[in-house]
Amino acid sequence: MIRLTVNGTVHELEVPAYRTLLDCLRYDLGLTGSKEGCGVGVCGACTVLLDGKMISSCIALAAFADGRSVTTVEGLAQDERLHPVQQAFVDAGGFQCGICTPGQVVSAKALLDANPNPTEAEIKEWMVGNLCRCTGYYKIVESIRSAAQRSRA
Amino acid sequence: MAHRIVGQPIGKLEGIGKVSGQARYSGDVTLPGLVWGKALRSPLPHARIVRIDTSRARALPGVLAFLTAQDLPDILVGRRMFDMPMLARDRVRFVGEKVAVVAAADPDIAEEALALIDVEYEDLSAVFDPVDAIKAGAPVLHENPAAYEGAPAERPHPNVQSVLRFKLGDVEAGFGQADRIFEHTFRTQLDHQGYLEPHAGVVAIDDDGRIQVWASNKMPFRLKELLSHALKRPPEQIRVNLTPIGGDFGGKGSLMDLPLAYHLARVTGRPVKMLMRYAEELMAGNPRHPSVITMRTGVTRDGRIIARLVKALFNSGAYAAFKPAPSVNLGGTAMGAGVYRIPNLLIEAFCVYSNNIPCGHARSPGEPQMVFAGESHMDMIARELGMDPADLRRKNLLRDGDHLANGHHLEHVRASDTLEAALKASHYAEPKPGPWIGRGMAMTHRHIGVGFTNARVRLETSGAVTLSIALPDTGTGAHLVLRQVVAEVLGVTLDEVEIEVANTDDFETDSGVGGSRVTHTGGRAAYHAAEKLKQQIESEASKHGIPAGALAEIARAAAKDGRTLEASHFYDAKAHADVTSFTAQVAEVAIDPATGQVTVRHFTTAHDVGTIINPIGHQGQIEGGLIQGLGFALIEEMKTEDGRISTLSLGDFKLPTIQDIPPLTTVILQGQVGPGPFNAKAIGEGSISAVAPAIANAVADACGVRILDLPITAEKVYFALREKVAR
Amino acid sequence: MNDFDYRSPRSLDEALAILGEYGEDARVVAGGTALVTMMRQRLVQPRCLVSLRDVQGLGRIEANGGLRLGALVTHRDAEVSPLVRERIPVLAETFRRVATVRIRHMATIGGALAHGDPNQDPPVTLLALGATVNIRSARAAREVPLTEFFRDYYETALEPGELVTAVTVPAPPAGSGAAFLKFLPRTADDYATVAAAAIVTLERDGVRCREARIALGSVGVTALRATSAEALLGGEPLGESLLQAAGEAAKTAVDPLTDHRGSAAYKREMTAVMVGRVLGQAWEAARRSAQARP
Repeated sequence: MIRLTVNGTVHELEVPAYRTLLDCLRYDLGLTGSKEGCGVGVCGACTVLLDGKMISSCIALAAFADGRSVTTVEGLAQDERLHPVQQAFVDAGGFQCGICTPGQVVSAKALLDANPNPTEAEIKEWMVGNLCRCTGYYKIVESIRSAAQRSRA
Repeated sequence: MAHRIVGQPIGKLEGIGKVSGQARYSGDVTLPGLVWGKALRSPLPHARIVRIDTSRARALPGVLAFLTAQDLPDILVGRRMFDMPMLARDRVRFVGEKVAVVAAADPDIAEEALALIDVEYEDLSAVFDPVDAIKAGAPVLHENPAAYEGAPAERPHPNVQSVLRFKLGDVEAGFGQADRIFEHTFRTQLDHQGYLEPHAGVVAIDDDGRIQVWASNKMPFRLKELLSHALKRPPEQIRVNLTPIGGDFGGKGSLMDLPLAYHLARVTGRPVKMLMRYAEELMAGNPRHPSVITMRTGVTRDGRIIARLVKALFNSGAYAAFKPAPSVNLGGTAMGAGVYRIPNLLIEAFCVYSNNIPCGHARSPGEPQMVFAGESHMDMIARELGMDPADLRRKNLLRDGDHLANGHHLEHVRASDTLEAALKASHYAEPKPGPWIGRGMAMTHRHIGVGFTNARVRLETSGAVTLSIALPDTGTGAHLVLRQVVAEVLGVTLDEVEIEVANTDDFETDSGVGGSRVTHTGGRAAYHAAEKLKQQIESEASKHGIPAGALAEIARAAAKDGRTLEASHFYDAKAHADVTSFTAQVAEVAIDPATGQVTVRHFTTAHDVGTIINPIGHQGQIEGGLIQGLGFALIEEMKTEDGRISTLSLGDFKLPTIQDIPPLTTVILQGQVGPGPFNAKAIGEGSISAVAPAIANAVADACGVRILDLPITAEKVYFALREKVAR
Repeated sequence: MNDFDYRSPRSLDEALAILGEYGEDARVVAGGTALVTMMRQRLVQPRCLVSLRDVQGLGRIEANGGLRLGALVTHRDAEVSPLVRERIPVLAETFRRVATVRIRHMATIGGALAHGDPNQDPPVTLLALGATVNIRSARAAREVPLTEFFRDYYETALEPGELVTAVTVPAPPAGSGAAFLKFLPRTADDYATVAAAAIVTLERDGVRCREARIALGSVGVTALRATSAEALLGGEPLGESLLQAAGEAAKTAVDPLTDHRGSAAYKREMTAVMVGRVLGQAWEAARRSAQARP
């Protein structure tokens, strides 16, 4: 039995030892926002926050999150209102196919939580682990800069 | 003409579900009783299957079904040429070919079951290099390819899948008139499309016995036809339900695991989900063809191209099944002529069988390969002639009225404008800021895609407009573009137009997404449907004496009479328009002479475009394609050792990251003529192909080293520099 | 993944007891970045997985003359720790170059050492710094110099039933300077083609080298010291030809494997280049540090 707090809700679950946190979120809890891309921790499509820190949920066991708090992309919007980072990705075109996007916005949110006013170099260093094959990244940088500006305003 | 909504930089409103995690991709689909399918793959490049023993695996708790080729009808699958078994029958032809499939209650149990299957193989001799594969005496992959459904007739060697030829004038006579003749050979690498969503599919047989399909496939109607063929079930028994697609770039047009998911669903009586792991994508997806391309060009003393002969060998791997074109070849081969008027031209492209991963379509299929060869070749010729590479290009650029070897006739040609714009914006002619810095240019052009699309537009009694379309969202922003078109035509706001993603029951047909066509075909279908609806609205309004702008009132008045205001349009663009889109790019690179490392200091991309319907989406296509081109140029390579891919994860097969992108200048040459709605043209494949040769030419300019094979790694530059110093 | 027993002991003694019980059938997991990935690829199939995540007391960074980093300290902890940044900045900088922030949040120092991957970055700098590994079993504790810890490709001095509890890093000598370089010719997120670390200590004159330590990664079956190059430097003043000679000497210390990050021949050549560069930077840092001394 493991006990996970996901987006503020407590879940007690019986899962096999081999269940990854990603599969647990997707298939046991039905939170399919987090995606499996590479499956080896490189691409970032499965990024979630564990106790506020971004991790690769595809190479974390569900058991690693026992007693801890997980934030997924589904947990960013408040009362149907998109998080400023999500809104900035929409407005600036920071995604196309959208498969990497949950990981991108979760990572970007964690960045702005830690550093509300990042330079372009800081954005790139933080986001280097979130691959995107569609956008060429220019509009992702722009989205995050604009989210930072909006949060300051 | 000024527009209200067309041309506005509207954010990606179609993607609110994507940023919030609510969008449901095919891999996210779940159904009651769903079970998981997984495939066992061949570890050998060429072998006879002696025996498959599944007894240990069958004993594993949670395993529901097993299938080998013996359990399936003997049907071959493909997109145009049907040469691939769903599961290997007697023989495997590449590492990664599926030999058995299992269904289990959870994906880990399914994988565990695969590990318990014992297969006995007997090695057969294999061939990996395309040059070797078409030699006399090479191991033959398919005994009688001509017998395959859809096989082209011409076959100079049993390992040739197809030959594609483009011809103008008399090439031999042309070489006879040339003052100088240059010949160079180039190679390009095996490269994956790099979409981050591995192939995913769910197949369920519903209570009425219909086959319900959710798949990462961009051509739902063609998928229905191909499934009908593969499953021997009538097409009306199959419904493809559209989901967003997690990246396509040409790679998501085949059946992949869907026939197996169907057969597992049939034997288990449960819905079946099959997701490829990324390692499976890298060993058995349908990546970009590697190539060996020889360019031979004859020029006059003053630099006019008078003849060109291009021979391309595409290493197609074990099956031709993934190529969709009637030629079973790569259309981008026509770009062997580049953006130049060449009176005497012969391009010959051979797709060749070998014991490698079967290749398919990747963003502008065949073009990045051909343009790398052609545009590198141009710079090498210019250097030999002592000409500025820009001047050599200027002398030979296409002009209004020219005919291309693939039959296209061109008007409104802006090759020269596009080149000059790129040169100016990149400060090409100005002194370079230091040693070991170089600049290089390259050009390409791409026609606007053709195909056919159905659209339906309905006025709701709320006054809102619903656009119904069966084109899946691959991320290009097409759904937003189509809403903008409809809103513009009907004079309503964007918010008043909703999109309803239809399925294959809702329309007769649609050519789906691909070939830079959607803004054209989908846009025109939506445009004309909206025009028809507008007429209905106007006549309804005048009938009831309601102002034409009071849409809700008009719709309700019609509803009272038992009518819905609705219009459909089927747009079919059969022939290519006589307009194309030019691209000119300039790279500025710096070389670290001690390591050979290439840094792109700046990149300039210039595009000759039509009306831009959504500038954010348009620029996104330019940037995304460009960085894919950068990866192709410098980073990406699926390495193989005797047919075995050794880069089996995104840790080893690297894609560009956010820290790898260069400063970028985009130049837009706004034109007034295009076949799309409001004179739009295509952009999706315009920015990828010239990147590699622009960088290769810049490297040569910076350090005098010419790299003839992609990717341009630091190691290749380093050793080439050493060799140059030694000479 | 196959099924296994998952145990998450609360104390080190409990963890060691479980390890003793399962012997070679048990694997220890901390961040899991390497082990879970290998388990998913079915390269490793343990019968029991002993998670250290709830073990108390292994996650501290302490000053003890030098630094003592507990086995559960993550790469990110080490990178951003004010103590590490102040005492041994090159170590913080090295951790910063590992993979991505997300992986650095997960991967632990103890886990990385136990993994024995010759392509990792921290062992390179830790080797140059003269670090030692603290090891415990149910019966005993021992300390192994890092130079003796890495045995072969993915093989360390750890015996069954043992685990890494900390790494101890001596303070760099007064008046020394250090640098770390990771050569990434392909993309910003990759294993190094060659990684190099150097620590240079100058004589009182602030000109001549008293001692230099050079370590390399990704160029052999383990991270390694380039002692042949180090030997050339004692008593010498910095100069272009000296750096070049050291680089050439380092080439004889390496035995790289050809992989996707470069051929063996290229990595050998780049060893020389990176050794020259990292030495130059460390020397410059040492010169500044010597000037700052009273």
